Amino acid sequence: MLGLSGYEISLITSMGIAVIFALSLNLITGFCGQISLGHAAFYGIGAYSSAMLTKAGMPLAMGMIGAVVLAGAIGIVVGFASLRVRHDFLAITTMGVGFLFLGVMRQWDFVGGEMGVSGIPGSGLGKPGFMILVLGLVVVTVLFSLHLKRSWMGFSFDAIADDEDTARVIGLDVSRYKLAAFAMGTALAGLAGALYAHNVRFIDPESFGFVESITVLAMVVIGGIGSVFGVIFAAAVLSVLPLWIQFIDEYKLLLYGGLLFAMMRFSPGGLAGIAQKLSSRKAVKVPGGGSA
Amino acid sequence: MIITKKMVAALAITGSLIFAPALADTVKIGMNVPLTGFAAADGKSALLGAELAMEQANAEGGINGSKIELVRYDDQASPKQSVPIANKLIGQDEVNIAISGSYSGATRAAAGVFQSEGVPYISAFAVHPDITKSGDYVFRTSFVGEVQGRAGAKLIGDTLGKKKVVVITLKNDFGQSLAAGFKSKAADFGIDILNEYEYSIKDRQFGPIVTKVKSDDPDAIYASGYFFTAGPLVSQLRAAGIEVPVIGQEGYDSEKFIEIAGPSSEGILITTSLDRDSSVAVTKDFITAFEAKAGYKADMVAASGHTAIKVAVEAMRKAGTTDRQAIRDAIAATSLVTSTGEISFNGLGEVKKDVQVQVVKDGAWHHYTVINDKELLAPPVE
Amino acid sequence: MLYVELLAQGLVQGSIYALVAVGLTLVYGLLRILHVAHAGLFTLGGYIGVLVTNATGSLFLALIVSMMVVGVLGMAIYRLCYQPILDKPPYVALIASIGLFIAMEEIYRIVFGPYGISYQNPPLQSSVEILGLSLRMGEVAVGGGTLVLIGALALFSTKTRFGTVWRATVTDPDMAESFGVDIIKVRYLNFFIGSALAAVAGVMVALLNNLVEPTMGSVPSYKALAIIVLGGLGDVRGTLLAALALGVIEAFGTIYLGNYLDRDAIAFAFLILVLMVRPQGLFGRA
Repeated sequence: MLGLSGYEISLITSMGIAVIFALSLNLITGFCGQISLGHAAFYGIGAYSSAMLTKAGMPLAMGMIGAVVLAGAIGIVVGFASLRVRHDFLAITTMGVGFLFLGVMRQWDFVGGEMGVSGIPGSGLGKPGFMILVLGLVVVTVLFSLHLKRSWMGFSFDAIADDEDTARVIGLDVSRYKLAAFAMGTALAGLAGALYAHNVRFIDPESFGFVESITVLAMVVIGGIGSVFGVIFAAAVLSVLPLWIQFIDEYKLLLYGGLLFAMMRFSPGGLAGIAQKLSSRKAVKVPGGGSA
Repeated sequence: MIITKKMVAALAITGSLIFAPALADTVKIGMNVPLTGFAAADGKSALLGAELAMEQANAEGGINGSKIELVRYDDQASPKQSVPIANKLIGQDEVNIAISGSYSGATRAAAGVFQSEGVPYISAFAVHPDITKSGDYVFRTSFVGEVQGRAGAKLIGDTLGKKKVVVITLKNDFGQSLAAGFKSKAADFGIDILNEYEYSIKDRQFGPIVTKVKSDDPDAIYASGYFFTAGPLVSQLRAAGIEVPVIGQEGYDSEKFIEIAGPSSEGILITTSLDRDSSVAVTKDFITAFEAKAGYKADMVAASGHTAIKVAVEAMRKAGTTDRQAIRDAIAATSLVTSTGEISFNGLGEVKKDVQVQVVKDGAWHHYTVINDKELLAPPVE
Repeated sequence: MLYVELLAQGLVQGSIYALVAVGLTLVYGLLRILHVAHAGLFTLGGYIGVLVTNATGSLFLALIVSMMVVGVLGMAIYRLCYQPILDKPPYVALIASIGLFIAMEEIYRIVFGPYGISYQNPPLQSSVEILGLSLRMGEVAVGGGTLVLIGALALFSTKTRFGTVWRATVTDPDMAESFGVDIIKVRYLNFFIGSALAAVAGVMVALLNNLVEPTMGSVPSYKALAIIVLGGLGDVRGTLLAALALGVIEAFGTIYLGNYLDRDAIAFAFLILVLMVRPQGLFGRA
């Protein structure tokens, strides 16, 4: 199909889902500056919602809408927490939300408890069809992100990310913007989660644990916090990196951890930061060249 | 380019209509197995066991003259990794059969892919009951948790004659399904469950549970877990002066358990599938050959990896082709003596074999008894 | 009696949390960094403890070696990893630290093997009766050791000149610097002491479980973060109280709430509850 093997299709699908997930966190952490260490919880809420709805006989579209609404609604509740606590306290609070989600999911028998949910209906579109659906949603997400970044709301997010108190002084309704960022970011994570559930077709609490939250945060940070294209690139590469570097088997996670560390240690602006530095250096070297 | 590809494909299809696909020089068997991350220890054993089975089969002349090649990928025991790996094994490596040396989540997710592509898939030691429900191409050579739980109930209530029991359950699919099986048969053997406590796979300190168990004063303790949780648990129970029998399962089945629990491990009983004192040639061979290859003593996971490959090889030998349907049918008809006993499959693809009870004696696992009540051990059929 | 025994178990667990968390809160107080890799040092402490004990037969020697090596490594981590990025936004150090922690766990797995290691002749395994409570010697050592170490730390920081300087710096680094404190020296000392305490905790946990695994630090890595937040980031006394409180809450929670929430979730439910009522932490000053 399209000259792609089944393996390539499944890789592209995984990449696409990772990109949506990473961009969803980028709205909260990148645009609005609110660190979240529990974002996988919303990915999980989306996955569980869509899995349960479609298993109950609802069509895929309903499952996805349910995922978006529920994840977004719970996201707003957590957003209220962000009004109460700040910075490092918020990071730990969101981490707590992640663990609370896991703890609850493990105990609830009607969502499978520890056993998870098996036999989740596929998309019914076939593998290539599902890939196209995912890619379509990636495009929508990217356009939405770019639009948001340039909108008035995007500027307000920027101001809050820079310095919350100053933003408040110049008259921005900080609370409302923060809640908006949480609502949009978590709803989008819910969408990514729904896609994940119908792609892998088996979910259990462990799939949405702390490691997953860290992984998605790594994608955003390595890509360059707030940079849409940097995050897309990092999410696409990091999501399939473990599969690509199979040949170094034993050292894979070591490399992953090392990469995360090295990026922060030597280029905290992420890949976007590196790209910017390179292009601005070029701009200086070439006489008469436009500035970046 | 596309045209040539299509033409080749068309030729291949026409060809396959005329000739049954013959075996090539090498035959590939796929395997997903965790080699990094939290499950790496079990993954290593499973892989070494599988490699040993492959080497042994190759030494016997491979599959009707073709050499066997094991194509394995690290899945970190994560469903997120195992799905693309399954696609890669099928699409890129073109394996006609695969085994899982991984945990439940990863295996369950991959099983769906293998089933939908019609590639036979054998789970070596993952316990999730839904794995074989993926369909008729998915098999399991280890016990489903429930069966072992029932065997545990018989061991405690009947063989040992202990009636007041405390259940300590590991909170994951393994522990849950063991507990479910145990509870379903407990009453039949006159067992009164005094209390049940749950712990997480990350726990190593059981002070509060041990304290409470002591006040419960049971006759025996049925505790699910893996060697890395059970080792600390058993030594903490004994250190608190709780001397009643502790009954575990195949998760304990490792030299490492004895190393961690030390003298406290003496007398601990487990239900498992590897008999250290077996007089069966295959098992004896496996135990010596594995220690020579790995440098440490064989455990249940290693034997499971070994068994799964052996079943796969035997099925391909019998089928004599790379036709996936024929291989599937050959697996379904398996009747084979392996390192984990004499096995066959039921209609769902669940293994039928005896449960071995092993005991720690003088710092090593030894034969205690065998539970072979066919009715009690009948695996689920749906 | 059962309640008293559960309380004792909770305090033992809380002591371990305390030893790990004190180092973290000191680092936070001084540098405003959430030092996740601290849990990697805790694991290394356990490894060194078991290896040296097995080689020499002396637990005491193992404890000293472990504290020294891990303490120095802690200083090296500060110098090589954190110092160059101190002026960056806080998330930079946080993610760097997480990356470092993942890498450390993997190094342990590759160097020491995936199965973990145990004491060949586990020391302090006998049990004793204290006031009618039956405790393992190991548990007594954990409780007693923590008391002694934290006591010594308290004496050092209140009775010596350097300790006073250190305390002042942790409370308000900028102010201290303006008074001419050599802040770099204070930071090294801070990392040395914090890391050495984590090493002690590692040796102790190895003693209680007779098992050191590559992933031994993963639970402390996030639970210690919760504790220092509860304690009011950077507040040593608050952290100690929060650690003990959490140990006790978990001990009772495991028995009486275990069917509703698991241990981690109990801890974090408590954390979220507290933060919503007191955003500055349980013992933090507003």
